[in-house]
Amino acid sequence: MTKKTWMGGASAAVVLAMAGLSSPAGAAETLTFIWHAGTCADAVVNIAKDYPDKNVSIVPALVPYGPEWHNKIASEFAIKGDGFDFAMWDSQSTAEFAGGGHAYSINKVFEESDYLKPELFDPASLARYGEYPDGSGQYWGLPINQDAYGFMWRKDLFEDPEEQAAFKEKYGKDLKVPQTYQDAKEIAEFFTRPDEGLFGWGQMGGREYDFATTASNSFMWSFGGELYNPETFEAKGYLNSPASVDGVQFYVDMFEYGPPGSQNWGWDEVNAAFQQGKLAMAMQWYYFNGSNSDPKINKFAEVTGFGNLPGAIGRDGKFRRQYSVGGQGMGINTYSKKIPQLVKFMEWYFQPEQQKRYAAVCQTGLKSVLDDPEWQGLNSYNKHFAKALEYTNDYWHLPEYNVLLDILQEEVSNAISGKKTVQEALDDAAERHEETFEDAGYEIVRSDETPEVPDTVIAPVGKDQVEELPTD
Amino acid sequence: MRQAIPASRATAHAVPKAISDRTICGLFMAPALAILILMVAYPFISLLYYSTLNFSILNPAKGSEFIGLENYTRLLSRESVWERFVFTGQFVLATVVVQFCVGVAVAYAFQRNFRGRDLLFTIAMLPMMLCPIVVGFLWRYMFNSEWGVVNYLVTLLGFVKIDWLGVPGNALWAVVIADAWMWTPFVILLATAAFRGIPTDINEAAEIDGASPFFRFTRVTLPMSMPILLIAFLLRLIDAFKQSDLFFAMTGGGPGSDTETVAFRLGKIAFSHFYTGQASAFAVIMLVIIIGLSLIFVRLLTQQGRQD
Repeated sequence: MTKKTWMGGASAAVVLAMAGLSSPAGAAETLTFIWHAGTCADAVVNIAKDYPDKNVSIVPALVPYGPEWHNKIASEFAIKGDGFDFAMWDSQSTAEFAGGGHAYSINKVFEESDYLKPELFDPASLARYGEYPDGSGQYWGLPINQDAYGFMWRKDLFEDPEEQAAFKEKYGKDLKVPQTYQDAKEIAEFFTRPDEGLFGWGQMGGREYDFATTASNSFMWSFGGELYNPETFEAKGYLNSPASVDGVQFYVDMFEYGPPGSQNWGWDEVNAAFQQGKLAMAMQWYYFNGSNSDPKINKFAEVTGFGNLPGAIGRDGKFRRQYSVGGQGMGINTYSKKIPQLVKFMEWYFQPEQQKRYAAVCQTGLKSVLDDPEWQGLNSYNKHFAKALEYTNDYWHLPEYNVLLDILQEEVSNAISGKKTVQEALDDAAERHEETFEDAGYEIVRSDETPEVPDTVIAPVGKDQVEELPTD
Repeated sequence: MRQAIPASRATAHAVPKAISDRTICGLFMAPALAILILMVAYPFISLLYYSTLNFSILNPAKGSEFIGLENYTRLLSRESVWERFVFTGQFVLATVVVQFCVGVAVAYAFQRNFRGRDLLFTIAMLPMMLCPIVVGFLWRYMFNSEWGVVNYLVTLLGFVKIDWLGVPGNALWAVVIADAWMWTPFVILLATAAFRGIPTDINEAAEIDGASPFFRFTRVTLPMSMPILLIAFLLRLIDAFKQSDLFFAMTGGGPGSDTETVAFRLGKIAFSHFYTGQASAFAVIMLVIIIGLSLIFVRLLTQQGRQD
């Protein structure tokens, strides 16, 4: 081969490679989406490869989970750019992006599409992942990936007759998967054996993004606490109410039964510790059940039980089971120039056929798939997930969400590290939240008195009896 | 033989100058100046302007309101902001001192001829070529209190495991170690260049005069390499002052906000909270501090030059 021929060939290869980079598989049109990297984003990409219209290809722009994911979407919106066409954003970000006028109305999609209609989704899911303002019927996202805080435990430890006998002797009750945090605390204490490298409880406490607060909120809500009063915009008396303090205090106390340094953990460390057999029980998102049930990743996968988080008996004697909702809604960039093509893709993507494929690895938002017994029986945790959504709760659905979250993260982190007591931390968080509300122009209507257990006046879910959920 | 002068050249000499040297100079500089104005002056003036507004770029529909210096007064009256400056100062002091002590010592050791010196020098340069965020996550896992390699070594030495990233004091030193690991090579590089620039006969003369190695280092090598070391110090100081990647990856700014540097806080206000006006004011404050520090060292550098 002459030098000239070789260079010509190389140039052609470069041009072809560049053509391939700019337009995968020779597609004429690309639809770019932003999400955090992981199993679910990979699933969307793989499913999209089979999109019948070969003129359209779906291009992922993935970032690590955490603030840069939110910031990448927000930065593009800030310059009103069309660097992406759609994005999966956290449920609580809907208010921020829709409030700023950056999200395309899903109501318009419902009107224009023959297939995409609200009935395809559970109303609660649609509200959770796309509605802003709350109760308005205005949607800005579709529930593409539902998630909830879940629970996992080591079945081999719980079912070991010797452990059962020892537990009964010490606590006078049977060792079984806990339905309340009060029970969980005793079991965590029982299994905390640092000399054996075993600890009773794993949970996130990291300062990053929403690590600490998604966990602490799950305790706070279960004990009857609330973040604020959405009618009066009071945070004082709600976020720092006795019930809220009870919940967050319980959460902080649970670190005693985790490995040293677990106060700084994110989900990665919780997974790693559980997969190494260091934890008897752990709070973890359903999102990770796929990897935690994979024997290639988790050497204890065969003996790992999956289910829903416990609830708590609050100071008013009521039982509540409330935990953080996870997952993302799929929103459309209003500055995108390819919305008609995108809607066509969505009409295909939200068909049951595609959603069943997605639901094999992640949690779909399509109601018909979620209700399908075949899907529920696909693994040991899908049936629990179908139930889990009833007990989920969320942060503020307000455009100021990111500022409020950062404040709460900081103050809960202060409580975890011991820099402040839980009461001091929540007092300061409530004070700062109200400042944020005022700066944003909300009028705070001060009540004469605030409730000891705010759940009783906001959206009561308390029950007289402990509600047992299946743990099989 | 005398060569003929080209016609064009001859004409150029004959015609009086239509454009002055000053104008030609200005014309040559104009493109560079235009780029400079576009890339530096315009953003800076915009920054000053935004710093006087109550404005969020993510929420333009809310509009912007001129509030004068309120963003500055609000920021500077917050105790939490001053705490960030104090923490950043502690970090800068610790990391720059560690980097200089280690960097200068290692660079001095590299002046000796030994087998494999060049290879070792190349390897020593590697950390600064890595992406800071990658270095941050790498050290985060190494400092993991339960299964991190650092605590493994700590227990091998007979000590109990340390919660490196969960306790503010420990977290500061953990990030200082990571930062020093990454940027000490930069000091080694510049110090080596400075040491190698000293004529060998000066050291040889001192050695013949009976000066000890310590005396030669403190009285000959260090003073003669001071201009370059001062530049290295200034660059590291400015860079350390702006550090946020390592804190982002290793501690997330926690516990609480105890390990948030000013640059970290600025990034959060600007690109997470999207308080554009307030972030602009914060950036101006940071800029003033960095320019102030730079001026001090430039003055030192000038004085050093005069003494030389």
